[in-house]
Parts: sequence; C-alpha cells; structure tokens
Amino acid sequence: MAQRISLSVNGVSHERETPARRLLVDFLRYDLGLTGTKEGCSVGVCGACTVLVDGEMTASCITLAAAVDGSEITTIEGLAQDGRLHPVQQAFIDYGGFQCGICTPGQVMAAKALLEVNPHPTEAEIRDWMMGNLCRCTGYYKILESVVKAVGAGLDSGSDSGSDSGAGASQ
Amino acid sequence: MTTLSVVGQSVTRRDLPEKLTGQAKYSADLKLPGMLYGHILRSPHPHANIVSIDTGAAAQVPGVLAIITPFDVPRRPVAPIAADTLPLDTRVRFVGDEVAAVAAVDDDAARRALSLLRVEYETLPFYTDADAALAPDAVPIHPGGNLAINPPLSIGRGDVAQGFAEADLVMEETYQIACHSATPMEPRAALASWEGDNLTVWKSTRGVHVDQAALAQALDLPVNRVQIIGPFLGGGFGNKDESRMAAIAALLSQRAGQPVRIEFSREDEFIAGRTRHAGRIHLKVGAKRDGTITAIQGTSTLNTGAYAASGAGVARRAGQGIIYLYHCPNVRYESYLAYTNCPSAGSYRALGAPQGHFALETLMERIAEELGMDSLEFRLKNRVPPEGQPGPRLSPPEQIIDSQPIEGGIPFSSNGLEECLTRGAAAFGWATPLTQPADPTKRRGKGMSMMIYRGGPGSTSAATVSVAKSGRISLRSGLMDVGEGATTVLPQMTAEILGVNDTDVETVFGDSATTPEAPITAGSTATFSTGSALVRAAAEVRRQLLELAADGLEAPVMELDIRDGQVFVQADPERSMALTDVAARMDGDAITEEVTIEVPGSADYIVNSFGAHFAEVEVDTDTGRVRVVRYVAAQDSGRIMNPRMALNQVEGAISQMLGFALSEELVTDGPTGVTLNGSYLEHKSPTIMDYPDLQVIFADTVDPVGPLGAKGLGEVPCPGVAPAIANAVYDALGLRLTELPITPDRVIRGLGGA
Repeated sequence: MAQRISLSVNGVSHERETPARRLLVDFLRYDLGLTGTKEGCSVGVCGACTVLVDGEMTASCITLAAAVDGSEITTIEGLAQDGRLHPVQQAFIDYGGFQCGICTPGQVMAAKALLEVNPHPTEAEIRDWMMGNLCRCTGYYKILESVVKAVGAGLDSGSDSGSDSGAGASQ
Repeated sequence: MTTLSVVGQSVTRRDLPEKLTGQAKYSADLKLPGMLYGHILRSPHPHANIVSIDTGAAAQVPGVLAIITPFDVPRRPVAPIAADTLPLDTRVRFVGDEVAAVAAVDDDAARRALSLLRVEYETLPFYTDADAALAPDAVPIHPGGNLAINPPLSIGRGDVAQGFAEADLVMEETYQIACHSATPMEPRAALASWEGDNLTVWKSTRGVHVDQAALAQALDLPVNRVQIIGPFLGGGFGNKDESRMAAIAALLSQRAGQPVRIEFSREDEFIAGRTRHAGRIHLKVGAKRDGTITAIQGTSTLNTGAYAASGAGVARRAGQGIIYLYHCPNVRYESYLAYTNCPSAGSYRALGAPQGHFALETLMERIAEELGMDSLEFRLKNRVPPEGQPGPRLSPPEQIIDSQPIEGGIPFSSNGLEECLTRGAAAFGWATPLTQPADPTKRRGKGMSMMIYRGGPGSTSAATVSVAKSGRISLRSGLMDVGEGATTVLPQMTAEILGVNDTDVETVFGDSATTPEAPITAGSTATFSTGSALVRAAAEVRRQLLELAADGLEAPVMELDIRDGQVFVQADPERSMALTDVAARMDGDAITEEVTIEVPGSADYIVNSFGAHFAEVEVDTDTGRVRVVRYVAAQDSGRIMNPRMALNQVEGAISQMLGFALSEELVTDGPTGVTLNGSYLEHKSPTIMDYPDLQVIFADTVDPVGPLGAKGLGEVPCPGVAPAIANAVYDALGLRLTELPITPDRVIRGLGGA
C-alpha cells in the first residue's frame, strides 16, 4: 500500500508516493539519496541513524516515514549553514571525535539535540544523553571531549574526563 | 633530518570534513543506474547437504532478475583467504550459511523471492564444541576432516621437560575464552558491475588486491579483468578481508546483466561476519624460587567455526606471548584448530594474542604470588630483554627475521618493555595501596599485565612517490584506510622526507587498477611496511630534487636541505629556492619512484612492539558487576607519527577490549546450533557509560629499523586488557576467574552465589 507523504528535510520540501511500511532511514537514503544517515542496527539501539524530527532526537531505523508526515527533518547533511560547520561538527574535527565515521552522523545529531534542550550540560549529563550512541573504534574519549568542547562549559581536566591528562605522546 | 617537522605532529585527519557532513561514501551508499538489490538465503540448519532447490515460484515474483544456487555457479574457492569456501556450496555448515541468492529491483521483491525458494536439506550431525568436532567418530565438516591445521601446530625452543625438572615450582591452569564478534559499525556491503567481461566491485574491504585475487580465482577471470575499489570503510577490526559476499554479488550481476548491491543486516554481520575464536588454553609454567622461569608450555584448542578464514594465523598468534614475552630457554606451544558448526571465526584485532595473553598473564600472576614477589618486580625480572631470548639463532644470517620469532639468539631492534613497565607503574601509582570504599559490597583491586606483539614487518608492500614538473606531489598506495588513518599518516611521512607540509601531498589509495599492489591492512603493519617503501621512494625523489636544486643554487647536494617547501643551503639559508621552482627545472613531466619491499623487516633484529597495562576495578559483590575505574596503558610502538591519531587507536583498542574482558559473548546454542544473540541489544558492547579514566603513555623509543623510527600500534594494546582486569578482580575478591568474559554471573558463581 502506497501513501503520499510530504516532509521538509533540511529545509527542502519533498512530496513522495512511498510504501506505507517505508522506514524513515530508507526514505532518506533510498528515496532522497541522503546517505549521510547510517543504518547500524535496525532495531533502534545503536544511534547511527539518529536524525531530528521537529527538533527531537529520533531513531530513523524504527520510525515509519509515513508516521512523520508533515514534519521537519534535520539530517547530518543539513547541519552546516552557508558552508560553515555547526559548532558540534567543528569540535569533532578539532578534538578528533571519530575514526571510521559511521557512528559520527548519529553522534553529532544526538549532541546537537542535547544542546537544544540543555545548552550547558554537565559531563555526566552528556554521557547519559549519548549512552544510546554506540562507537566501536574511537572509544568515546574523544567523542566526549568533542561534545564537552562544543558546549564550551569549561569543564576542567581534573574532572573524570581523564582522557587527555598526560595522554600526550612523549616525543 | 635531525629534527622532525611534520612527523610527530597531530596533523588533522584528511577525511574529517566528508565524514562530518554526511558526504563520505561508504560501500552501502553507492548506487549505479539500473542497480538491483541482492539478498542471500541463509541456512536454518547447522550442518546439512542441500539436495535440491526449486526456484520456480521465486522466479515468478515480479521484479526478480536473477537467482543463483550452488547447483548453477562455479565451484571455485574464494581463495587465497577463504581456500575452504565456495561462493555457494551444496553443503551448509552453520545456521546462517549462504544457500542461494536473489537479485531484484527492490528489497521487498528480493525478500519475497527468498521466502519462495524451496530447499530440500539432508541434515547431518553437528558440533558447536571444538572437542566434540575433534572426536574420532565425528562427521567431517570439510573433506580433510575437522582439524583445520593438520598436523597441529607445534613450535618451541629448548627442552621443556628439562625446564620443568629444574623448576622449584610448577603451576598449571586451563582457561576458557568465549567467542565474541568484531561487529564494526558499518555492516559490510558490496556492489558489483560488469562491462563486458570486465568486473568492477566496490566493497567494504581491507585489501583491494587480495579481493582482486580472490574474485579472479572464484570467477575464473584473469586478474586484470577485475577491479576492486575500496570506498570509505566503516571499521574492520580484522573483518572484511573476505570476498564471498562480493563473489555472490558478482555472480548475481553477471546473471542479471545489471549492477547488484548486497548489504549485510546487523544480524548478518554478527552471524556471517567473522568472530574471535573461542577456545581453551592449557598453560603450565615452571620457576625457580628466585623467580627465574625455567619452562613454559601452552596448548590451545580453538574453535574456528564453519570456515577456517584466518584461523591458522590466529592459532599461531595465540602462542606468541607464551613463547616470547618472558625470558625463558625452554618453551613449547601447540595448537589444535577445530572446524565446528558455529559461525566462522576469523581475523579479529590482534588475532589470537588476547586469548594467549589472558592465560599467560593471569598464570604468571599466580606464580609471582606463590613466590612472594610483587607483580611488577616479577615482570621486570622476567620480561624479555632487549637482547632477546636465550638459545641459538637458527635462521640463516641473510634471512629477514619473522616478526613472530621462535628461536633465541636475536636481539630486538628496540624494546621499550621495561620503560612501559616502570613509567606505567609510576603513572598508576602501583606502589600505593588502594583505599577500599566504605560500602562493604564494593571491593576495589588493582592488576597489571604486559604484552608483546608484531612490530610492523608484514607482507610485500609498495609505494609510489611522485613530484610533477608543476610541483604537485603525490603518494600512491594500494592500502585501505580502515579508519585507523593511513591516508593521513603516510602522506605525513612523505612530507617529512620531502620537506613540505603534509597537506601538500596528494594521495591515491585503495584502487586495484591505479595503485601498486598492497597487502591487507592487517597485523599493525601499514605504517611500518608501506612506510618503509614510501620512505625509500621519497628519499630517492628528494635526492633527485636536490640535484636539480644544486645546479640552481650552485651548491653541492650535501649542503642542501628542504623545509616548508624551500630548498636552501644549510650554512646560508638565505640562498634558497622554492621546491616548485626546483621541480620546474626537471626535463620530464615528473620524477616518480615506485619502491616495493618484498619482505619488510630486518635480517639482524626482531621488530616487535610492547606494552604494559595497569587497571583498577571496583566489583559489586551483590551484583557481580565489574567496573573498571582507572586504567594506564603504556605502549612502545617506536616513534609516534601522529600523537592524536595514535591516542585514538589506543583508546579505541582498550574500549573495544573492555567488551572482550567483561561483557561480549556470542552464544551458539549447543542443542540447536542457532546463534542466539546476533544483535547490539544482547551482545553487549561497552557504551559511553562504561569506559574508565584512561591515561596513555608512549615510550620514548625510536626504532632504528622502522621508517622514521616507527613500529606497529593498532592491535598492540589489545592483548593486555583482559588479564590486567582479571588480575585486578583477583586483587579485589581473592577470586581467580579462568573464563572470559568476566560477566556478573561468572563473578557471582565464583563467589559461591547461586
């Protein structure tokens, strides 16, 4: 059964005929060609497919496209404005928040969603919020640091962030 | 180049902007006109012969353009890695094994067609346990029987019987290690497309040339008709070196006459990807009262599952710590690699070293305790020293020394193990007693481990360095960047030699048609082995550039240097020329040097990397949960080329191995052969809530053999994690756990709970 849906994705309106069972992640990747959103687990637990639906952090792999008819969707492709990276994106570059990059779009979208509701989260609040975003290669240290730096909350290195204390290569 | 200007800097990874804006294309993101969606039918039986497959109803599904079965595709193995694996076979060997495949215009049509394939199976006895598969009356899973390496591996030096006879104390223990899955964040994908008789495949790969050889073999094509392109790779950790999925995509595409893409689901990735070998290791150590070790003997029995994949390498590497980490004249290691009807185990970061080090470093802890020696003191006394192991060198003098040596009599090119132990211990505060929490159900403990690993010499490696008349500098390498950062570090090394900025070096990587032949990015060898080739190539290009500059600057080559893209006279830096102006003086279009190193390494030295780890844990005696509170990792990987990226590698390795130590276990049910938990929900990987406060220290080693002083790093920290944590759990509870992972239920059972 096909259904006609209209969505705004990164500020661009799309009206499409799509099967009623089309998942939002497939709608973005297959129908719109926005492959920046990744599918990591298909059951809503790894966070790779995270997008914003009307500003709310949403797992697009367990959301039907038809269920968000009429919504505004933001994906990783829509974060940079006028060629300028979002502060969270910039922090991930500056602090090396990733390696292979598959979990990164979801990590960045989750962090952006956090900052929308809580512009100055503590480190514990960041951890709690980002718990649903799995990373298999970078090990969270630089991800946390990137988000902390994006917040600019001035969390000092004496807290349990730990990762960089004395971590510099002795060259 | 007495001082380094580019190497040693944390220059920014090259692929960051694309990856952060969603523009980076991974294999599953690629689409070609007319592309079909391939899906694979998987076996419901752990072991069966396929008698027949009726494709009639499936072929009638609208939109289905190709169906392949084992009865209508060539029976040619996907060698070299998977010499025991056909694209599709009439025998299935685990629940999830490939049976047949369909290509259709969309996923729905392909899935519908799969559900209509009628397969008749003749089921066979099956084994999920290595011992059962190795029993004399077991049904063979492969034609050669269930011993995947036959005769079993047996290596050593000296005489262990004599060594144990000399010992005052002999201790032995049997260790069990569970299977866990690498499960990189990117489920693998392959896209195949034919143009006439020429095949192009874009796939999740760790080695385009190895895939090229495998597909040429499986499809009976000349190698030059197969092109493999590696798009961005979403993590490999040893996986994604197999070509079976790509062979199936290519066969479907050939049949349909249109491009075909196959993607694994996450469950496919768990079950049909590659796991770390489950196994049992029996270890026996003899020591004198003064702590001198007289004999070490280990035997591993490893479960390689349905296919051997890299099992031979895993079996071998599980023994390397046992035979080489401790100074000892008498050592022996044997390994039995068993086919079973479990999902296939294969290469997973550090291969067998984590299993072997878990046994070794926990039994050594018991020896130290029995002898009344401190863990650190015992290891400082017995660690393999820079001069290597006792006993004669057996390799001929001109032979390049294997990075997993057995014999004695060969020194290390560099050995920072003592520095790792002492600096790590100081940073951790090893001598300072821990303070126990006031809550009596929370017990803290500390533990340590040390590790030895291959230091970078790998397979034949090549690099091409070129400077064009326009001044453009390029580096070509067939390597794949698996996320670890070779595409940043290798141009960084090239830039160092040529005296330019790292961003001045353009790169081409991972395309079998346009880059020199490369090995798999594996074994922590890329920086060392490809680096050795590029350093030689770049040095030759530099020499030729300096000759051109010598004419222009009217100074001898010997007196010239290059820095920041300027060639200058060392004694009078004002006399200089821009490198682009120097390049403009060349006669041809470019100066290009391709260097191939057949056998990287040294004939005089062993090149190995080392490390020492220190962990503090807190165990909840009510729940059995182990939390790692604090961790210090000291690593000797030679000179660090890019500190931030090196840190990423160590932090990632430790975080990943926390799962191996504490939570991850892929369970295949004995009675049914079904793998029960192929999901991120039930195969528990560490999250951002689980990692400890971590301090990473790099030893001040500059390896004299390694390119610009480098040795291997990526896998090196992996073997130390589980034993450091297990030893800390013992310190906290007085409980020696001999099984991994150390899950809450194992702790509670160990404490005598239900």
